[in-house]
Amino acid sequence: MRRKQKNIIIVTLAVLIAILFLLPLVWMVFTSFKTLSESMSSSAILPKVWTLQNYVDIFSPTSDAPILLWVFNTAVITAVGTILVVVIDILAAYSLARLNVPGKNIIIGIIIMALTIPGIVTLFPAFYIFKSFNLLDTFIPLILPYTASTMGVFLIYNFLVSFPKDLEEAAYLDGASQMQILRHVIFPAIKPVAVTLGVITFMGIYNDYLWPSLVINSNEMKTLTLGIATLIQGSNFVNPAGMMAATMVATIPAIVVFLVANKYFVKSVTNSGIK
Amino acid sequence: MKSFKWLVLLIASVLVLGACSGGNNASKSKDGKIQISFINGFTGGDGAYMKKITDGFNASQDKYEIVESQEKDHYTKYKSGDYDMVVIHGNNLETYRLDGMIQEVGPLYEKAGLKESDFHQAGMDLAKLDGKLYGFPIDIHPLTMFYNKEFTQEAPKTYEDLKKLNADLQAKNKDLYALGVPSSGLVEFYMLMIAAQNGVDLQDGNALNFAQPEYADALMTFHDMVWKDKVSPAGLGLDGEFKTFMKEADSGKAVQSAIALTGPWYYAAAKEKFGDSLGVAPIPQIGKQQAAYGNAHMLAVSASVEDEEVKEGIAEFAKYMFTPENLINWADGGQAPVHLKTIEKVTAEKDKYQIAYQNSLQFDSYVAPPQVYQYGEQIRYMNEKVFSKLVGTENLTADQLMKELESATKKAQQIAETQPK
Amino acid sequence: MHKGTSTKTWAILMVSPFVLCFILFWLAPMLLGLWVSLHNWNLSSGNNGFVGLQNYVDILTPGSLYNEAFMLALKNTLVFVVISVPPLVIIALGLALVLDNLPTRLKPVFRTIYFVSYSISVTAVSAIFLWLFNENGGFINNLLVSIGILDQPINWLSEQPYAWLSILIATVWWTIGFNMMLFINALDEVDPSLYEAADLDGANAFRKFIYITLPQIKNVAFFIIIMTVIASFNLYGQSRLITAGGPEQSTTTLTMGIQNTVFGMNQLGIGSSMAILMGIIMLLVTAAQYFMSYRKKEVN
Repeated sequence: MRRKQKNIIIVTLAVLIAILFLLPLVWMVFTSFKTLSESMSSSAILPKVWTLQNYVDIFSPTSDAPILLWVFNTAVITAVGTILVVVIDILAAYSLARLNVPGKNIIIGIIIMALTIPGIVTLFPAFYIFKSFNLLDTFIPLILPYTASTMGVFLIYNFLVSFPKDLEEAAYLDGASQMQILRHVIFPAIKPVAVTLGVITFMGIYNDYLWPSLVINSNEMKTLTLGIATLIQGSNFVNPAGMMAATMVATIPAIVVFLVANKYFVKSVTNSGIK
Repeated sequence: MKSFKWLVLLIASVLVLGACSGGNNASKSKDGKIQISFINGFTGGDGAYMKKITDGFNASQDKYEIVESQEKDHYTKYKSGDYDMVVIHGNNLETYRLDGMIQEVGPLYEKAGLKESDFHQAGMDLAKLDGKLYGFPIDIHPLTMFYNKEFTQEAPKTYEDLKKLNADLQAKNKDLYALGVPSSGLVEFYMLMIAAQNGVDLQDGNALNFAQPEYADALMTFHDMVWKDKVSPAGLGLDGEFKTFMKEADSGKAVQSAIALTGPWYYAAAKEKFGDSLGVAPIPQIGKQQAAYGNAHMLAVSASVEDEEVKEGIAEFAKYMFTPENLINWADGGQAPVHLKTIEKVTAEKDKYQIAYQNSLQFDSYVAPPQVYQYGEQIRYMNEKVFSKLVGTENLTADQLMKELESATKKAQQIAETQPK
Repeated sequence: MHKGTSTKTWAILMVSPFVLCFILFWLAPMLLGLWVSLHNWNLSSGNNGFVGLQNYVDILTPGSLYNEAFMLALKNTLVFVVISVPPLVIIALGLALVLDNLPTRLKPVFRTIYFVSYSISVTAVSAIFLWLFNENGGFINNLLVSIGILDQPINWLSEQPYAWLSILIATVWWTIGFNMMLFINALDEVDPSLYEAADLDGANAFRKFIYITLPQIKNVAFFIIIMTVIASFNLYGQSRLITAGGPEQSTTTLTMGIQNTVFGMNQLGIGSSMAILMGIIMLLVTAAQYFMSYRKKEVN
C-alpha cells in the first residue's frame, strides 16, 4: 500500500517535470504555425489562425535560409568528423596503451595538459592559419580541427590500461597480426567507450557555434547551428514565427537522430567507465 | 630523429594544404566573364532587392559578372577575406579608410559617368573624407516614424504632441502608450538623433566626447520619456520600440504603443500587420531643433583592387546601379536612395514608395555621424551600458549620468589612440 | 613480448595520425597564439612589431581599456560559474533520483523526455528562450501573471538578476540531460546489497542517500562538477544570443570579450593575450579542484 502511494507521488513529480521540459518545445511548435503579425502581437500559445506560410517560406528557393542545405552540411561534417576522431583516437590510444611507442610518457603528459586548456586559446590562431591557406569557407576547417581533441585518446587509453591483456596475448601467440588483434579483440572490448566518444564528439561538432562563425562565409556552407544563429541575429528583422519554423526544421532531424541513438548511448554511458 | 620525421610530415602536409590556394588576380568565370566579388550585410528583407540589382547587372553584361555574398558578419568576413567591392555603413567609412582597406573612388566616378551633383548633399557628406571620395552613397536610412492610424490620424510633430497623444491614450487604456523607448538595439540612432536635435557636436579631434553637460541634458530627454512624462512604458528590452508597436495591449500583461521611432527596415513587417492603418512620417522634433539622424550604405572598393579591368567592371556596375530604373528596386525594398534622379522617381510615385519618399524628406535636415576612427567601438560603451542605464534607472541623477559619460569618453579616447599613424 | 621492429613500426604508424593532427591543429595554433600575444598585431594592418609582454601588462594594468574589458568579462563569467554549477549538478542528481525511483516500465519514457532537449543546438535553444522570456507579453510572463505567481510582468532580459536567471534556466533546460545520464549510470552501479543491508538496519530513504548513495557516486559527481565548471566558463552562445551581453554589459562573458577585442577593436595581439590568460585561469581552477578532491581522498 505504501509502495503504491510512493509510486503515485513519484510519477506525479516526474510528469510535472516532464511538462516543464516539454513546454518550450510545445511553444516552438505552435508559434511556428502563427502568422508573422500574430506571433509578434499575441501572447496566447495557440495560433488564432493556423498557417503553413512560414514553412513555405523556408523551403522556397528564394529563401535566405537554405535549411535543407544546412542539414546536409551538418550531416556531412558531423559524420566525417566523428568517424575521423573516433578512428584516430582508437589507434592512438591502442598504440599508447599496448605498444611501446617511443616517447610514450611525453605524449601522454602533453595529452593531459592539453585536456585542461580551453579551446579559445587556439581559436583565433587556428582561424589565422586556415585563413592564410585560403581554406576558409570550406569543410576542411569545419572537420579537421576536431581531430586534435585529446579527450578521446585519454578516455580510451584509460579504459585500455585497466582492461586485462590476456585475450590479446593469447591471440598474439596464435599468430594474429596487430590489425587482427585490433579488429577482433580490442574493438569489441572498447565499443561502449567508442560509442560514448562518438556521441560526445558528434554533439561537440553539431553544437559548435563560435568556430564555424569564424571560418564560414557563405550562406551555402553554414551548419545548422550557425544558420539558426544568423536567423536570430538576422539584421533588421524580427519574426518569431519564421524563426520558430526554422528552428523546428533544424531540430527535428537532431531529435530523430537522438531518439535512434538514445538506446545505444544510454547503454554505452553505462558501460563506458566515465567515473 | 623522431622529431625530424614529424617536421618533414608537418612541412609536407603544409605544402599539400597550401597547394590548394592560388594567387588573386582577376578571376574569370567559365564563360570568360571577369568576376567581381561583392560582399554586403543585407541578410534581412533587403537582401532580395539588392540581389535584383546585381542579377539585373549580370544579365545585362557579357563582360563582367558580380559574385555577391550577403553575410550577417560581413565586416569580419571582409577584413579576413578577399573581396573587390563592399557595402560599408556611413559611420564606418573613415575607419576603413584609415585602416587602408578601401581606396579612393574619384576616378571610378568619372569612369562611370557620375558626378558629385548626381547625389543629395547628405550622401556626399558621408562619401567625402579628407576632401576625397571613398564611396558611392546608396541610401540613407534615418530613424523613421511609424504611426498607427487607429490611435492617431495625425503624425505627432513635437514632444508636446507626443505628451498629448499619450494622455489621450492613457485615458482610454492604461496599456496604451505614445511610444516605446528600447533599452538596446537601435539606441545609437536615438543618442545621435538627440545630439543633432540639440546641436551637440560629439566629435573632438579623432575621438568622441560624450562628457558635455549639454549632451547629458539632451540624453535626459529619454529618461524623462520613461520616468517623468511616462510617454513610454519602462523596461522595454532589445528592439522594444518596434516590438511594442506591434504588440496588442492585453490587460496588465502586454503594452502597446501608437508610434515607433525605428528603422525603415521594419516597414514590411509593420505593413503586413497594419495595412492601410500604417502611417509613415519624418521623426518629430524632440530637442531644440529639427534634425534627422541615421546610418547610410556606401558602396566602396577594396584597396587590394589594382587590376584595371576589375576597376572598369566596378565602374560599369556603379553606372548600372545609379540609374533610376535599377536603383528604384532599392527604394522598393524600403530604403531611401540618395541618388537625385532616383529620388525624383520615388517622389513621382510617392504612394508606391511610401517609406523611401518619407525618408527622403528627412535628407535636408540629416546630420551625419561623426567621422572618427573605430566609431562603432568608440560608442560601444554608450550603446551597451549607458543608454540602458539611462532609461532603466528611475532615480538617475545628472551626476551619475555625467560619470558614465566620462567613462564612455575615456574609453572612446583610448580606442581613438589605436588609430594607425 | 610485443617487441621487435614490426611492433614498433605499428606503434608509430598508429599513433602518428593523432600526433600529426594534434601538432597541426592544436600545437601549431597554440604556439602561434603565444607568438602573436607578444606582438602588436592588428587584424586590419597586420603585425606592427614585437612588444614583449606589453599586451599582458596592458590587460593587467587597472584603468586601461583592455583591463576594464577583461576584468568585467572575467567577473561576469565567474558569476555565471558560481550560480550555474550548483543547479546544473544538483538538479541533474535530483532528476536521476526521480528516474531511479520510477516504476521500471516508465523509466525509458521519462529519461528520453528529460534528455531530449540536449539534442537541440545552442542557437535553437537561444531562439526559443529569447522569445519565451520576451518582456512585453512573452509566454513566460504571460503564464506567470495568468496563474497569479506574478503581479506584473518581469523584465527578464533587460534587468538583473533576471537576465542571469533567464540564461541559467535556458542552460539548465538544455544541458541538464547529459549530467543526469552520468548520474543515472552511477546510481545503477551502486551495489544493491548495500541498500538491503541498510533496510535491515531500518534506515530511512534520506539516511540511505547520505550514507550509501553519496559516497558511492562521489567520483562521478566530481567528474561532473569539473566538466560543468569548464562548460560554464566557456559560456558564449546563450549570453550572446539571448541577452546580447546586456543589460549594461553584465552578461558579457570572457569569450565574448575576447571576440570583441579581436574582431571589434581589431586587436589580435591583445585578444590572444586575453585568451592565454583565460586559459591559465581555467587551468588553475581545474587544478585547484583536482587538488581539493585529492586531498579529501587522502584524509578519508
